[in-house]
Amino acid sequence: MNTELFDTVLVANRGEIAVRIIRSLRTLGIRSVAVYSDADAGALHVFEADTAVRIGPGPANQSYLSIDAILKACKDTGAQAVHPGYGFLSENVDFARALDDAGIRFIGPSVKSINLMGDKIRSKNHVVAHQVPVVPGIAEPGRSDDQLLGAAGEVGFPLLIKPSAGGGGKGMFAVDTPEQLPEALASARRTARSAFGDDTLFLERLVRNPRHIEVQVLADQFGHTVHLGERECSLQRRHQKVIEEAPAPLLENLEHGAQIRERIGAAAVAAAASVDYVGAGTVEFLVSDENPEEFFFMEMNTRLQVEHPVTEQVVRVDGQKLDLVDWQVRIAAGQPLDFEQHQVSLQGHAIEARLYAEDPSAGFLPSIGTVLKVIEPTGGHLRVDSSLRDGLEVSAHYDPMLAKLIAWGEDRSAALGRLDRALSRTVVLGVLTNAEYLRLLLADAEVAAGRLDTNLIERKMREFIFRMPNARELALAAHLEVQRRPTSDSPWGQGDGWRLGSNLATQLHFEVNGEQLQLSVQHTAGQSTVNISGEEYAVQSLGDNGLSINGVRSSSHHAFAAGGTLWLSEDGWSGSVRRLTRQEILEAKLATLAKESGTFSPHVESPMPGTVISVQVSDGEEVSAGQLLLSIEAMKMEHQLLSPADGTVRMAGLAVGDLVKAKQVVATVEPVELERETTINQEQNA
Amino acid sequence: MKTLPSQLDTSAEKYQQNAKQYAALIEELHQRLETAARGGSEKSRQRHLDRGKLLPRDRVNQLLDEGSPFLEIAPLAAEGMYGGASPGAGVIAGIGMVHGRHVLVIANDATVKGGTYFPMTVKKHLRAQEIALENSLPCVYLVDSGGAFLPMQDEVFPDRDHFGRIFFNQANLSAKKIPQLAAVLGSCTAGGAYVPAMSDETVIVRNQGTIFLGGPPLVKAAIGEIVTAEELGGGDLHAKTSGVVDHLAENDEHALMIIRDIISTLPANPTPAWKIAEQVAEPLYPASELPGIVPVDVNAPYDVREVITRLVDGSEFHEFKAEYGTTLVTGFAHIHGHRVGIIANNGVLFSESAMKGAHFIELCDQRGIPLLFLQNLAGFMVGRDYEADGIAKHGAKMVTAVATARVPKLTVVIGGSFGAGNYSMCGRAYSPRFLWMWPGARISVMGGNQASSVLSTVKRDGIEASGGTWSDEEEESFKAPIREQYENQGNPYYSTARLWDDGVIDPADTRRVLGLALEVCARQPLPETSFGLFRM
Repeated sequence: MNTELFDTVLVANRGEIAVRIIRSLRTLGIRSVAVYSDADAGALHVFEADTAVRIGPGPANQSYLSIDAILKACKDTGAQAVHPGYGFLSENVDFARALDDAGIRFIGPSVKSINLMGDKIRSKNHVVAHQVPVVPGIAEPGRSDDQLLGAAGEVGFPLLIKPSAGGGGKGMFAVDTPEQLPEALASARRTARSAFGDDTLFLERLVRNPRHIEVQVLADQFGHTVHLGERECSLQRRHQKVIEEAPAPLLENLEHGAQIRERIGAAAVAAAASVDYVGAGTVEFLVSDENPEEFFFMEMNTRLQVEHPVTEQVVRVDGQKLDLVDWQVRIAAGQPLDFEQHQVSLQGHAIEARLYAEDPSAGFLPSIGTVLKVIEPTGGHLRVDSSLRDGLEVSAHYDPMLAKLIAWGEDRSAALGRLDRALSRTVVLGVLTNAEYLRLLLADAEVAAGRLDTNLIERKMREFIFRMPNARELALAAHLEVQRRPTSDSPWGQGDGWRLGSNLATQLHFEVNGEQLQLSVQHTAGQSTVNISGEEYAVQSLGDNGLSINGVRSSSHHAFAAGGTLWLSEDGWSGSVRRLTRQEILEAKLATLAKESGTFSPHVESPMPGTVISVQVSDGEEVSAGQLLLSIEAMKMEHQLLSPADGTVRMAGLAVGDLVKAKQVVATVEPVELERETTINQEQNA
Repeated sequence: MKTLPSQLDTSAEKYQQNAKQYAALIEELHQRLETAARGGSEKSRQRHLDRGKLLPRDRVNQLLDEGSPFLEIAPLAAEGMYGGASPGAGVIAGIGMVHGRHVLVIANDATVKGGTYFPMTVKKHLRAQEIALENSLPCVYLVDSGGAFLPMQDEVFPDRDHFGRIFFNQANLSAKKIPQLAAVLGSCTAGGAYVPAMSDETVIVRNQGTIFLGGPPLVKAAIGEIVTAEELGGGDLHAKTSGVVDHLAENDEHALMIIRDIISTLPANPTPAWKIAEQVAEPLYPASELPGIVPVDVNAPYDVREVITRLVDGSEFHEFKAEYGTTLVTGFAHIHGHRVGIIANNGVLFSESAMKGAHFIELCDQRGIPLLFLQNLAGFMVGRDYEADGIAKHGAKMVTAVATARVPKLTVVIGGSFGAGNYSMCGRAYSPRFLWMWPGARISVMGGNQASSVLSTVKRDGIEASGGTWSDEEEESFKAPIREQYENQGNPYYSTARLWDDGVIDPADTRRVLGLALEVCARQPLPETSFGLFRM
């Protein structure tokens, strides 16, 4: 077999992982090819690679998931191998097969391994046969209560009774001791029968406060498999990992953690070997917090993981760090692993935080837009794997992960501290990020103590308070706004609102998180005095583009987006404020006026097709402006139709259940004549 | 150009003392400005706001571009007159920017006697229109006024420069292609109805602005018709039926936005009549030292160059005829990039100083350089030798030159402005484009002491000629009220109340005010000169 490294490798991925792979390829002296969709034309990986190929429009199924497009890109660039990264086609059997057929090397395991490990149930059944523990349970229909009672011993306690027909936790019963089982079974049968009409029950060992622990394995084409220690990814939000670390705090906090690590590692190696695994892979285990001696195989990921850098930061082979991508490429090229398990050791602790473009205060909605300014933290023992660059378009097409921050420390608390400071120095303007949320999470006492579980975030989220722009930041925003006015050397063009006496303060209306806030600012030559509800802030532009507030230099960063939104960032917090223009303020006011006085439409229309779900008033009734007339359900949403004015309502005769069309008039309000006081010139001699 | 070095010793006791005294005058100015800017009483302002109207100053501020300066005209008009009934004469006037264009704004203050026109209101309104005419400034009238103040109708209605002149001016300004725009934000009764009616383009606020020749009470009395103000002359009527207005607004802000939109359709500012330097260096010495330089006593001597060096760009000054007629300092400098010819008093005027002044004015006129007069003089020199030397005819040369120079003239009374000196130094009668006073300035035909001495000498001569006697005590009690009268009438606030000037300004603001004004003056092209220069 030819063990020469490849000349050209195509990276069939995007974002930080593509960038990270390209960098390792460069170190190996291999020419790299990036692929990109139209939405990624300005993405960092495109510029990092030696060459780049457009593979289609934004939607992933027409670009990054298009096997044909990627195959064509390989041929067009002469790529001999493809690194799939994670996600997209990394675990796609058809892709691996297509590459094989085209004579292009897939940097990953064989089609057979992917196939076997790709299915959760199949893989569990497979590894059980190779002495890898899985969660014990009985999942055969037709077992009587007695049969189940008899078998419960093998399952072990605590256990869970699951109705076969159930789902989503419905009808499940947790049982702590054998004594409680008979009664619990009886009531589970009853519940299942009445709820699903089927009383088939399964038993499964209940793993309370489960910890997510995964083992990194590496196998060459010659059957030599090693493990590189474990990672813990117990901090998750809806199965999405948020913070990952190595080694696992669970094991680190135990006296005999090293032995457990050895056992889990051996199990991971056994699982990999059972499918003749080749390359880098991860074996995931569920470990009970209450009894860490027991661990159960969950699944195997046949690719590089997002969180692989924490392993790279702590693993030493004869004291040297190792690069997993480098090994993936060498193994794919047919090179053997040149070290043995006993040469592998762990040093210190590494923690990774994933930086996402999302708004944690709004249910983690992805935040899309143009990245205006990026400052990534730097420093010793800090690694940043990033896709960020100034001007990057964050689109809704892909996963909103922007970067990963990985901090290493002699111990866990040193790593945590380093990561927190790195987050506080991270500046991303233009999209919202979860940096503040990550810092809140790292500051949590349970997290600091390493008492992690997969439900921790769900519990803590309610306590987190995300901050709004504070007064100092608003003062800064006001200063920057007035500084934006076009000015000239002319005494008329200085934008200072000059008056005989004292200069005019400009009233600014800001929109902050949907709320309006008014403040005033007096401005002359690079200096502003901002008044926010009676408090004054002196903001000054310094010679080096810096700013000071009340004489203290501000550590914040800022940038204006097209459209005038100002992005601010300080200590890992970031947010935006937008100044309302005179036109916008006027329009809002006119809209209110139109409602209050004559210039409204007397017709109340249904906004969209729907069904009447309630009628609140009767024909001829006197109604007031804003009063609910009737409700319509459309698109699963209730729409309340309100009276536009004070007056007498004429209903269109609709009843509950009637269908209405879009723009159908459902009521008409005859307004009360507005009696205006006659304002003639009476105050002349007042 | 050479810089004008300052010899000022700011540690000198004289400087310290003077700075302290002058600071009190400046403080008084600011307080007066603040009080006048409030307009009517708290109660009447609140009533105005309760009607959903904006206060007049807020109307002006919302009309102007954000951050625009506002060069206000005579903010202290009617100060101390009519028993204090009409702060600012019930009208705000000044120049500001809208969509980058200079406009002249005249806004009635309905919180002051319903925005009615007192004699000084009329005078201020006409003065503002004069500024618009001389500088080709589009006019915006923010109307909210009950018309003439009826108890004083004899002083506001019939004469040439009374109420009717406002509409005469509107017609003639429009004829000169100077846009006339009006927003009717309140009453516009009788004669007042002509402000919008005579405008090129007009906005009215629905349910708030009214325009009619006779209000509902008059209509009822005259023809027995009962009608509401809104029906008689409201926004809907005039926008939809009569066509007296062109745009219908829902509130003040809306009306002002419409006026702004209209202004955006006007031609841009004209090309300046002279070149304006792009690089502007600030003076080498701070304007904050001016109060310590200019003595509160207008008779105390000082070198006016200390003032000049604090007003001009880079403190650079090219002096003309420095060795001749030294009681008048003449020379060229720049202010905010505008080249100016400066004429400043440094003592009484002698024949040589007057001839030098006449020569220099002609020089600037020939070259199209605006003139800046810094007035501080007791007048022309008197005495037999000087009369014999023909000081009257030499003074006349300077007065003629001042009167006929075609270039824009700006006057700042920084000290005394007495007698014929006022004329030769471009007093109000010589139509400077703008005239301002410093808080320490004095203006009268002569000083109080001279006047009381002149009058008492005449009286004593009369008494003694008829054989009577007049004791020193009697003379002093005769002189005291005269001195007091001159003291009172020579005060800058007495002057500014009567529109003898365009405002009292803080010395520290002078450079900025001059820069603003020069740019406005540059809007009007210069007419041709018809004479060569006469060497005096």
